[in-house]
Amino acid sequence: MIVDELLHSIQKIPAFPGTVQRVAEILSHADYSVSELVSVIEYDQSITANLLKMSNAAYFGSRHRVSTVQDAVMFLGQENIIRAVVASGVVSFYRSGRGYGVKGSDLWKHSVGVALMSQILSKKLYSRKDGELFTAALLHDVGKVVLGEYIDRSFEKIERLVKKEGYAFLTAEKEVFGIDHAELGGKIAERWNFPPKHVEVIACHHRPDQSARERIAPWVVYLADQVCLMMGVGGGSDGLAYWGLKEVVQMFKLRQRDIEECMIQLAQELALAEDIVNVFHG
Amino acid sequence: MKVSNNQEDVLITYALGSCIGVAVYDPQVRVGGLLHFMLPDSNLDVDKAKANPAMFADTGIPLLFKSCYRFGAEKHRMVVKVAGGASILDDTNFFRIGQKNLTALRRIFWKNNILIDGEDTGMNHNRTLSLRIADGVVKVRGSNNFTRKL
Repeated sequence: MIVDELLHSIQKIPAFPGTVQRVAEILSHADYSVSELVSVIEYDQSITANLLKMSNAAYFGSRHRVSTVQDAVMFLGQENIIRAVVASGVVSFYRSGRGYGVKGSDLWKHSVGVALMSQILSKKLYSRKDGELFTAALLHDVGKVVLGEYIDRSFEKIERLVKKEGYAFLTAEKEVFGIDHAELGGKIAERWNFPPKHVEVIACHHRPDQSARERIAPWVVYLADQVCLMMGVGGGSDGLAYWGLKEVVQMFKLRQRDIEECMIQLAQELALAEDIVNVFHG
Repeated sequence: MKVSNNQEDVLITYALGSCIGVAVYDPQVRVGGLLHFMLPDSNLDVDKAKANPAMFADTGIPLLFKSCYRFGAEKHRMVVKVAGGASILDDTNFFRIGQKNLTALRRIFWKNNILIDGEDTGMNHNRTLSLRIADGVVKVRGSNNFTRKL
């Protein structure tokens, strides 16, 4: 069975960088030592290199030029340093990804778009940016990194189900492989010992109505993803073939206008986040 | 948005999801333009529309034509082709920004007596649209990487 092969292959995915978790833990306290934080980050060369490349992104809004980890910790602020460290740690997983008819860089751009959108939406819907959601949003499609090459190999079969039989892309994946990219992403997150909230957001990002424990977070990431798919932010061969769930409209009391305003904001923020998108290329 | 009369140029816009790409070309003076707009109506945010008129159908389309006129193009000779306006699968109408974009485009063209000479719109896949300035050839690529001339 392909599903067994897929589940086996996620065992080969490298461990999630402990540095990200250590940084999150340090930053979760109101008081922390800058030098401790700096030494934790600098211990990880790959994260340090990525962090320095993206710290001057206008998105992070530092008014000072960042050229060392110390600068980043001092100038980015608590909220943004964690976002930058998460992105620095996560991008390497996407570098190995390909499939869905696009390059890993498109998948990364899409992930950054959804992460930014999750912040725009959480600000709009419940008046605060949700940093935790940023991490889960950035990783929502991590299952695609593994499933991608299988998709390309079986694309004709999937396309037939989508175009002729009216399947959503997700359902077609499940039919052909026995598992879809969201569920597979959830398994990867479990393997990384992610908190249950993150696992659920990733596993249910196309079907938040099937999330057993989390009421809000999977819906926000779901909505962020749908909007990015519509805007063509790093879209692949799955295109827009996913279901729009009407519950999301009632749940957040959304007007169409709200979504359109968020689209404009995302277009602007993506322009400011170029360094984050480009960190993919090392 | 990009307008050109450089005969070496190929104008291209990627990843049209629910956004729409409009390619216009005057074969006599060999001037062409390509617009990628995202939303139907600039009333949503007048300030943003001033800063970035190409974002909306109602401000972007007139700007596209006017910019071509500046290079000597004339309306009655313009060949017009469009692609994009895809939607996610939806029975609620809520997410149908692609369809709204298409409606806005058709209304603007109808009012201004502009005929569409070729189109590949709707459905639920991404598209890439290109326009070759030398001869006005417009190509559209779907997300399955199949390319066809419009």
